[in-house]
Amino acid sequence: MAEQNINQEQLQALQEKLKQMSPEELREFQKKQCIFCQIVANKVQSRKIYEDDGVLAILDINPANPGHTLLLTKEHYSIMPQLPDEEIAHVFKVAKSLSNFMLKGIDSHGTNIIVANGIAAGQRAQHFMVHVIPRKENDGINFALPQKAMEQKEIEAAGDRIIAALSGGVKEEKTEKGASLDEISKLLGVK
Amino acid sequence: MATRAACLVCQIIENKVPSKKVYEDELAMAVIDVNGSNPGHCFVMPKNHYPILEQVPDAEIGRLFNISNRISSAIFESFGAQGTNIFVANGIPAGQTVAHFTINVIPRKENDGINLQWQPKQMSEEEISTVELKLKEQTKNLGFEKEEEKKPRIHAKKPVVLSDEEEEYFTKQMRRLP
Repeated sequence: MAEQNINQEQLQALQEKLKQMSPEELREFQKKQCIFCQIVANKVQSRKIYEDDGVLAILDINPANPGHTLLLTKEHYSIMPQLPDEEIAHVFKVAKSLSNFMLKGIDSHGTNIIVANGIAAGQRAQHFMVHVIPRKENDGINFALPQKAMEQKEIEAAGDRIIAALSGGVKEEKTEKGASLDEISKLLGVK
Repeated sequence: MATRAACLVCQIIENKVPSKKVYEDELAMAVIDVNGSNPGHCFVMPKNHYPILEQVPDAEIGRLFNISNRISSAIFESFGAQGTNIFVANGIPAGQTVAHFTINVIPRKENDGINLQWQPKQMSEEEISTVELKLKEQTKNLGFEKEEEKKPRIHAKKPVVLSDEEEEYFTKQMRRLP
């Protein structure tokens, strides 16, 4: 991507500019930069599996397995916390159907549904998407979720923090208006 | 674990196995994974016993993933996480270990030992076109179940206090997890 070649000064100028943008301007800016928005707009070719008013499902060009599908929202959202409730419901109902179609149509024996929010979680593009990956025995995929034994105290503490954030911090506006500028800037920072 | 009585997740839901709950409503529950990949790793599960994703009714799908999203946001806020994963293993080849549909919500940091990456598979043009056609043929039938959907209501439950005896039982039970 072109941005990778910019120098430190240009990067700072860009970040300064981004900070001054309103959330609407920022979203417009991101949309123009976003390859998946161009796919949605048919400006970039893709292999479409399913499409409706809200979502587009396409084959991943770097599939974990044959049939690996990317389920995109047509609207540009960087990360899942920006999606309104209704869109989340719709997206995952489609994901469920895609999973079912993989079991029925391409002889898959299981599926993984994966969302990555943030670079540390493996997110590579700035457009929210759900991976639906057909699985078979011994297919060479080695997802690893190592188990870390936790003390009861740690479990309690972790739970209490989440409860506090859910009861105090989870505001309806947050999901409707989107993530904070910091979160978006973080995403932009590496791209 | 084919039946409800033998299902560990159902036992957690029925409070026969104690857990640290972070969310509960009439259809769903979320608990801390006692052997989580990172502190704050949560399971979100339907209260009804559905072994796999395909069995979960559409109305419950919407609610379960919205709860997962709320918990993911809460993790961002309260754990200083650099990211979150929403992860479902559907079927044994996909890594499913308990016969009760669950959604993992996982806090992420750089180099935390979790791997959800893959090596891209090389496919011929013909193979790609074949899989594309087969899936397209299927998605012609995509329709949604007609069911009135309720919005998830997020309300935190009071912390569950365990007696020492219960705690010991809990630890023993969870070690039996595959």
